[in-house]
Amino acid sequence: MSQPLGINRVEASDAELVRRVRTGDIGAYGALVARYRDRLGRYAVHMLGDREDAEEALQDSFVRAYRSLERCDDPARFGAWLYGILVNRCRTSGARAARRRRMFVRDVDALHGATHADQADRVEWSDEVNRALARLAPEYREAFLLKHVEDLEYEEMVRLTGAGVSALKMRVKRAREQLQKFLKEAEHV
Amino acid sequence: MMLTALLLVIQVAAQDPRLERLDPETRSLVVSVVDSVRAVGLPTEPLIQRALEGVTKGASGARIVAAVRRLATDLGTARSALGPRASAPELEAGVAALRAGASPEVLTGLRDARRPPLTMALAVLADLVASGVPADSASAVVLALAPTARDADLVEFRKAVERDISLGAPPGAAAAVRALNTGIRFGNSDATSGQPPNRPPSRP
Amino acid sequence: MFDRDDDIVERVVRQLRQPVSIDPALDARVLKQIADGPARPVAAPRSRFQWRRWPWLAAAAVLGAILVARPWTAGNDTAASSAFQFVLVAPQASTVALVGDFNDWDPARSPMQTAQGVWATTVPLAPGRYRYAFLVNGVEWRADPGAPRARDDEFGTPSSVITVGGNGS
Repeated sequence: MSQPLGINRVEASDAELVRRVRTGDIGAYGALVARYRDRLGRYAVHMLGDREDAEEALQDSFVRAYRSLERCDDPARFGAWLYGILVNRCRTSGARAARRRRMFVRDVDALHGATHADQADRVEWSDEVNRALARLAPEYREAFLLKHVEDLEYEEMVRLTGAGVSALKMRVKRAREQLQKFLKEAEHV
Repeated sequence: MMLTALLLVIQVAAQDPRLERLDPETRSLVVSVVDSVRAVGLPTEPLIQRALEGVTKGASGARIVAAVRRLATDLGTARSALGPRASAPELEAGVAALRAGASPEVLTGLRDARRPPLTMALAVLADLVASGVPADSASAVVLALAPTARDADLVEFRKAVERDISLGAPPGAAAAVRALNTGIRFGNSDATSGQPPNRPPSRP
Repeated sequence: MFDRDDDIVERVVRQLRQPVSIDPALDARVLKQIADGPARPVAAPRSRFQWRRWPWLAAAAVLGAILVARPWTAGNDTAASSAFQFVLVAPQASTVALVGDFNDWDPARSPMQTAQGVWATTVPLAPGRYRYAFLVNGVEWRADPGAPRARDDEFGTPSSVITVGGNGS
């Protein structure tokens, strides 16, 4: 054999893991948490603008999901159901403005440590994006992240947010316009 | 020639569904090993488990196929040494003992010295070597204990040796000392001759 | 600097889509909060999971280890199975799965339960010799410190061996 062959790995499906949790297998829930932790974490971090807040929201959401697991109608769509819990939790997270500002203080050490110009540029760009995102109204930010970063269909977003399709499309459009505006402003500082 | 072609076309792939975890190329190679092993009456389950172990551990297809082929070969060697009536667990334990360094003659000696199943005796032999006891010493000791010791005694023996090793005893010495304590005479002459005392009636 | 307005948004999206890694310690915090909280109502087990066949499960559950016992499907066992408990001490782990020749090396089959960092599960085993290992946090392979090591480790990770005798000893 001259070249390595690909391998298909098998993992338990969400539905299987949910089934096991329902018979009392907590370890199976651990597997679900590990599976969704980073994906949901990305939304929470961008939505809340603060990693600590995001981890707290994430933890709360996972615990809440476990405790209300019987209300998950379709175990095969556990991820989407869990998402809804997180989106709601992020809405009620409460603005901790001071901590949010902390994230957007320019990371001076990273800039000094950047040995290449493009590394420094990346840090700056990341800062700009985060700052612009934070300036969006929460419902615009939420709609923008769900549509463009989490790649959800509008029908799915309706289920998660309770808003209608046209309202959501409008929010996404406004978010795009405002992001363009904020980032062009930043350019002309 | 027509017949051969027909036979090729209708070749039945009686495939274990668990092998679907393998990618198609690896799977077909593993299946052909499994089929040829089955055809000579050797157990196939160890091969399937070895393939599944490789998949779970993310090994390349080449490595999986190599491991499965090696196991198939060793199962054949174990059966030559242990005889056609050896059970699947005995063969698996036999493979472990062979890979640990026991010679096929030692396996045959065990078969002659002890009533079946030989699984535990072979396993203890392999495990002693895994703990650091030289293969020759481990073989000698297990052969000496084989005629009279029960499975549970052999396991206790192995645990005692491991305890001594963990407390700092040189492995070979640990095995020898423990063997002395069981009242079995343990000496090189017994080992090389492979003729332990008190042989039970030979197997039919 | 930006040619078209849409380019800005595309760059923003690319930036935001980069993976975010959350501290895996979150898993343990979640499980601990769940374990400390009120008990979940447990749904009635499905018929495949036969309590009658494994009455020792009830006794073992008292010890705080929730057991996962799945009769092995590969089959030549006319011999009776005995239950064996596998234990790993790993206080820092978020998940631990037992994998081996008795469960098709499938991490989803025997996830382990933990009480204060001691992970355990019990598996029925028919006589035979089984290679096995613990998979910690889905990525780290550990042998069983209390069991003989498997010598022939062909896949580059440690494994252990358990041999079950004819009388289930």
